[in-house]
Amino acid sequence: MHLDPFELHRPTTVEEAHRLYAERPAGADYLAGGTDLLPNYKMHLNLRPTLISLDRIPELARRDGARVGAMVRLGDLERDADFVGRYPGVARALREIATPLVRASATLGGNLLLETRCFFFNQSEFWRASLGYCLKADGDRCHVVPQKERCYATFSGDLAPALAVLDAEVELAGPGGRRTIPLLDLYDRAGDGIRRTHLRPGEILTSVLLPPAARERSATYSKLRVRPSFDFPELGVAVAARIVDGRATELRIALGGIETCPRRFDELTTPLEGAPLDGPRRRELAAAVQAAVRPVHNTFLPPDYRRRMVGVYVRRALTEVVGATAVP
Amino acid sequence: MVSPGPPPAYRLLGGRIPYVDGPLKVTGRAEYTDDLRRPGMLVGRLLRSPWAHARIRSVDLRAAREIPGVVAVLTGDKYPTPFGVLPITHDETAIAVERARYIGDIVAAVAAVDEATAERALAAIRFDVEPLREHSDPRVGVDPVTDPIHARGLRGSNVQKEVLQNFGDVDGAFAHAAHTVRVQGRFSGVTHAFTEPLVTIAEATPDGRLTVTSATQVPHYLHRALSEVLGIPMHRIRVVKPEVGGGFGGKSDPLPHEIACAALALETGRPVRMLLDREDVFYTNHGRHPTENDVRIAADRDGQLLAYDIRALIEGGAWSSFGTVTTYYNGVLAMGPYRVDNFRYHGRRVYTNRPPSGAMRAHGGTNLRYSIEVGLDELAERIGIDPFDLRVRNALAPNSTTVNQFRITSTSFLRCLEAVRRASEWDAVRPRLPYGEGIGLGCGFYISGSNSPIHFAPDIPQSTVHLKVDMDGGIAVHSMQADIGQGSNTLLAAIVAEVLGVDLERVHVQRVDSDVSPIDLGSYSSRVTFMMGNAARQAAERLRDTLVRAAAELLACSPGEVRVGHERFETSSPSERSVPFLDALHAAMRTEGALTASGAYRSPKMGGSYKGARAGTAPAYSFAAYVARAGVDPETGEVSVRKVWAAFDCGRPLNRLAVEGQIEGSIHMGLGQLLGESMNYRGARLMNPALLDYKILTPAQMPEVEVLLVGEDDPEGPFGAKEAGEGPLVATLPAVANAIYDAVGVRCYELPVTPDRLERGIARRRTEHRSWKGVG
Amino acid sequence: MSSPAPLKLTINGLPVATVAPAERVLLDLLRDDLGLVGTKRGCDLGTCGCCTVLLDGRPTLSCLTLARLVEGRTITTIEGLAPPGGLTPVQRAFVEHGATQCGFCTPGFLLTATALLRENPRPTRDEIVRAISGNLCRCTGYTKIIEAIEAASTGAP
Repeated sequence: MHLDPFELHRPTTVEEAHRLYAERPAGADYLAGGTDLLPNYKMHLNLRPTLISLDRIPELARRDGARVGAMVRLGDLERDADFVGRYPGVARALREIATPLVRASATLGGNLLLETRCFFFNQSEFWRASLGYCLKADGDRCHVVPQKERCYATFSGDLAPALAVLDAEVELAGPGGRRTIPLLDLYDRAGDGIRRTHLRPGEILTSVLLPPAARERSATYSKLRVRPSFDFPELGVAVAARIVDGRATELRIALGGIETCPRRFDELTTPLEGAPLDGPRRRELAAAVQAAVRPVHNTFLPPDYRRRMVGVYVRRALTEVVGATAVP
Repeated sequence: MVSPGPPPAYRLLGGRIPYVDGPLKVTGRAEYTDDLRRPGMLVGRLLRSPWAHARIRSVDLRAAREIPGVVAVLTGDKYPTPFGVLPITHDETAIAVERARYIGDIVAAVAAVDEATAERALAAIRFDVEPLREHSDPRVGVDPVTDPIHARGLRGSNVQKEVLQNFGDVDGAFAHAAHTVRVQGRFSGVTHAFTEPLVTIAEATPDGRLTVTSATQVPHYLHRALSEVLGIPMHRIRVVKPEVGGGFGGKSDPLPHEIACAALALETGRPVRMLLDREDVFYTNHGRHPTENDVRIAADRDGQLLAYDIRALIEGGAWSSFGTVTTYYNGVLAMGPYRVDNFRYHGRRVYTNRPPSGAMRAHGGTNLRYSIEVGLDELAERIGIDPFDLRVRNALAPNSTTVNQFRITSTSFLRCLEAVRRASEWDAVRPRLPYGEGIGLGCGFYISGSNSPIHFAPDIPQSTVHLKVDMDGGIAVHSMQADIGQGSNTLLAAIVAEVLGVDLERVHVQRVDSDVSPIDLGSYSSRVTFMMGNAARQAAERLRDTLVRAAAELLACSPGEVRVGHERFETSSPSERSVPFLDALHAAMRTEGALTASGAYRSPKMGGSYKGARAGTAPAYSFAAYVARAGVDPETGEVSVRKVWAAFDCGRPLNRLAVEGQIEGSIHMGLGQLLGESMNYRGARLMNPALLDYKILTPAQMPEVEVLLVGEDDPEGPFGAKEAGEGPLVATLPAVANAIYDAVGVRCYELPVTPDRLERGIARRRTEHRSWKGVG
Repeated sequence: MSSPAPLKLTINGLPVATVAPAERVLLDLLRDDLGLVGTKRGCDLGTCGCCTVLLDGRPTLSCLTLARLVEGRTITTIEGLAPPGGLTPVQRAFVEHGATQCGFCTPGFLLTATALLRENPRPTRDEIVRAISGNLCRCTGYTKIIEAIEAASTGAP
C-alpha cells in the first residue's frame, strides 16, 4: 500500500507549526506518532495535502512530573518509573493500548485526539466506495444509525478516561494564544460527531497536566476487548476516588469506547460524595451508569452486550477502588 | 496377535531435528516471492468488483490505457477459460467474464511502472453493469432462484454439490435407541490468515517460455491451471516456489491473481509482480466454509453408538474450489475414531455472492467433529458415564473396515485416551473444579493424505523424489513437495540422510522448480510426510543399494553383509571393517557413472464402489484425544484456556520438534476459530478484511500445551509415520467447548464463542433457575 | 510522488545516504530502495509486526514510520543482527527450538526479542508474552518462540 504524496514539514517551535498551518489553506494535519493517522492515510481517509510533524518541537516532548508533553511516546511513558508510580491507573491504561510496537511510536497527545472509529469508516477506499462512503468521510449518510446528521463513530482512546478521573487538564496552543482547559472540555459531546473536539483551527495540544489531587486518588482502568492486545477498547472504564480514613471522596467514573467522546458521570457520583459505598450502592451506581449510555453497533462486540458490560465493569472497578471503604 | 518388539531406533528420525532452513529464516536471508526482483519489473494491480452480483455489459479501458506509465490493461475476455482445483468443477476465472460474483471479485488487471500509476489506471476504468439479485443466504439458495450465481447450480438453484449417503438402517437404529442426542451447530467462516500475503511474479521470455514464481503450496496444480487458461503447454511454463510464509490451505488452489499476473506478463513481455494487499487476501479467501450442521447420534443403554444421522448446509461463496470434497468430508469424516454401523448423510454446498470458501487446515473435518464431540459429551452426561469411558467403548479397532468401507490400519486411539486421561489427572481434577472452572475432552480423526489424487489417472505416482549425488559427496534432492513452514524440507533431508547414514549437511533440498523438480502433489490433505516420505525413502534406498554394492567390493564381502554406519559402510564379515561414505561413492561412480536415484509413492487401492466412495479414503488416519482446562468469567462470558493436553497418534513421530510445532500451531488456530475468528458479513459484504478486525489469537491467549505422542508405527507410513499437520486441529475446539460446559453449564452451538454469546447463555441458564455446580 | 529529498541515516552500523519523498515509509525505503528485504511486509497497516525494525534500539513498525522522520537515526534490521558468519544467542535459540516455521514473522519477533533481552536480560514468562504481544505468528502458537526467548535469556541450550 502506498501513501499518496503530501508535503512534510518538521517545525522546531509551536509558533513555526502555527505559521505552516496558517499558510496552507488547502489543509494540513499535524502528525504525532502516526500510528493512527498513517493507516488512515493509507486507506485514503480524510487526506490533507500537508503533514506538519510535531516531532522536532522540544517543548512537546518534555516530561516534568505532573506535566507531560503531548509528543511523549507512550512506550517511554510506561517505562517512566516516576510517572507509573504516581499514576498507576493511567499506567494501567497505557499498558493496555494497542501493542508495544504501536506504543513505541504513538504519543500521549495522539491517543487523546485519536480519530473516532467505526467499521464503516476504518476501511479501504475500495470498501467504502462499494457502499457509497459514509458521513464521516466522503459521503453523506451514516450506515450505523441511518440518517444524515450525526456520526456515531466511537471514541477509542484509552488514556482519556483514565486521565479524566484524575481531573487532568490539557494545554492548547493556538495562533491566538494558549489556554488550559479540563481534559473533558476538549471533547465536543454536543457536536455532530464529525467535529469531535473544541480545538480551534491550527491549535496544538501541547501537554497534559495532572493536578496535585491526582496523586491522592486511588484509580483503576479496565478494558473490554476480544484480545488482550491489538484491539481498541469495546469499553474502557476508569474509576478514581480519594480514600481517607476508610471513606471515599472525589469519586469519578469515566468511560471510553462506548460513545463518540469520552464521558464522565459526575451527575451520578457527586450526589454520593462522602456516602459509604457498600455493595448495594455500588451495584446501583453501576446500573445507573449502564442506563445512561447508548452504544451503537459499530465495533466488534454487539452494543447490548457492551452496555451490559458497562454495569459489570463499573461495578468491579468501584469495588477495586472503594470496596475496602465499605467495610467498617 | 504377536506383540511387536520395540520399534527400531533411528539415528536422526524420531529425534528433535532443527529445521534446515532455520539459519536462513533467523537472519532474514530466506527468500520469499516478494523478496525477488527482476530487471524492468512492472507492478500488477487488480480491480475488484464493488458489486455483489452484476452482469458486466461493457467496459471502457481507453482512459486507463492512455495514462502514461500504464503498460497493459486486461479484462476477462482475453483469457476466459474457467479453471478450478478440481477438474470436475471449473467455474473460477482469472478475471471476471461477463459477470461479477462477489464484492472483491477481480474485474480487471493493470500492469504499470509503479503502484500509484497502476492505481490511477484502475480508477479510470469505466464499467457499465446491470445489477443482479444478490444471494447471501445459503438457506434460500437451496431452492430455485432468480439469477442463480452459476448455470451449473442444481435445478436452477445455487446448490453446487449435493451428497446423499446411507449405510445400514439409520431409522431402525434410532427407533430402538435408548438414547439420542442432537447438536445443531452454526459456524462462521474462518480464513487462513497466513502472515505472508499472496504474491506472484511472472515473466514471459523471448524463448517462448513463461516463468511464474508464486507463494503457493501446490505448485503442480498452479502449473496445470496456468497451462489450461493461458493455452500454453505445461513444458513451456516453469513454476517456481520460493519460501512460503504459511499456507494452511489458503495457497493450495490455483488462484486467480496468479493467472492474471501471468497474463499481464504475456501481454507486456516484461516481468510483472502482483502483491496483494491484506484486504485482497481476505477477498481471495478459500477459507473454511460457513456451515450449519445437524448431527443426531443414537446409542444403546450402555453407550454403544448405533447411528449417526448428519445433515450439513455449507456456504461455498462464489466458486466451487475444493467444494465437492468439502461436501463429502462434512459427512464421511464422521467415520472415525468410533465405530458406528448405521450412517446417513445429506450434505449440500451452496454458492453465495461472497468470497469463495475452500480448503483450510483440517478441511471438512473441523465443524463436523465439533458437533459430534459436543454431542458425545451430552450423551455421556445423559447416560451417566464418564466421557472417556464412552469413547473407549466405541473406539475403532485396528485393521478394520468402517461401514462406508474406509480401510483402517493403525490406530492408537485407545493409547491417546489413556495417556491424556492420566496426564491431565482427569479423574482427580474433574470432580473438584468449582463453578467457572472446567475440564473437557474432545477427540479427533483425520486423513493422512487423500487416497484419490486430484487431476491424476490412477496408478500415476502421487509423489516422486529424485536424488543426485556427485563426486563432491553432496546429495541434491529434487521434489515438488512444498515446504510452507511445516518442515517438509527438513524431513526430506533427514529421511535421505537416515537411509544413507550421512550427516544432514550433505543433503541439499532444492528449491521447487517445475523444470527440475519431479511431480509431487504438494502440501494439502496432510499428505506430505506419508507420500513424500515414502518416495524419499525409496529413492534413498535405491541409492544406498548401489553404494552398498560398491562398498561390498571394497570390503570384499557380499552386499548382504554390509551395514550402513555413520558416514561409512561397515561389515563384520569376516572381521570388523569399514569404508568411508566418499570411498564407496567414488567406487560406485567408477562402475555406474553419474549417480541418480528416484523413488515414488502411490497409495494402494481402497474404498468401496458406490458413488463418492473415494472421498475420505486415505492410506492411514491420525487419531487424537485432547483434554482442555478452561476458566469462564460468568458475568462477562470471557474464556481463558488454561492448558491443553494433546495426545496424538501420528504413528511414529519422525521430527518431534516439527510434530510439536504442528500440534501447538493447530491448537492456536483451533482456539482462534472457537473464540474469536470469524469472517463477519452483512449481507454480501465482508466487514472485517483486516488483521486488526480478524481476531487471530495473541500470545497472551495461548494456553500451555502438553504434547503426548503415543502412536505406534503405521504399517505403510514411512518409518511408521502418519500425518501431524491437520488432524491436531480438530480435537481442540470441542475439548475447550466441553470444558466451558463443565465450567458454567452452557453448551456452545454457535462459533465463535464470543463473550457476548457465552454471557447470554449463562444468563439464560440463570433466568431459567437451572443451577450448575450449586450456583445460579 | 512528491519530490525526493536527501536522507542520511545509519543502518546496520553503516552510514546510508539516499533520497526519499515525504510519503515514503521506512519499510518501502528498506525493501524497495535499499534491498533490505529481510524486513517483511505482512499487513502494511501496523498490525502484524512483521515489519519490525529497531529504531535507536527500540522495536518500531517500519510500515508506519515516515522515512524522512528518521533522518540521522540508527536502524537495525534483521540483516544487521548477527555478526558475520554467526548468529546471536536468541537467533540460535530460535533455530534450536524450532521457533521458526514459515519464518515470515521471524525477523519481527527476533528484533522484538533482542530489544527485550537488552532491556531485561532475565525476563519472566509473562514479561516475554507482554513484549511479543504486538507480533502475530500464525504457525507456532507462539509456544516455541516463547521457549526460545526463555532459553536465550538463561543461556540454556
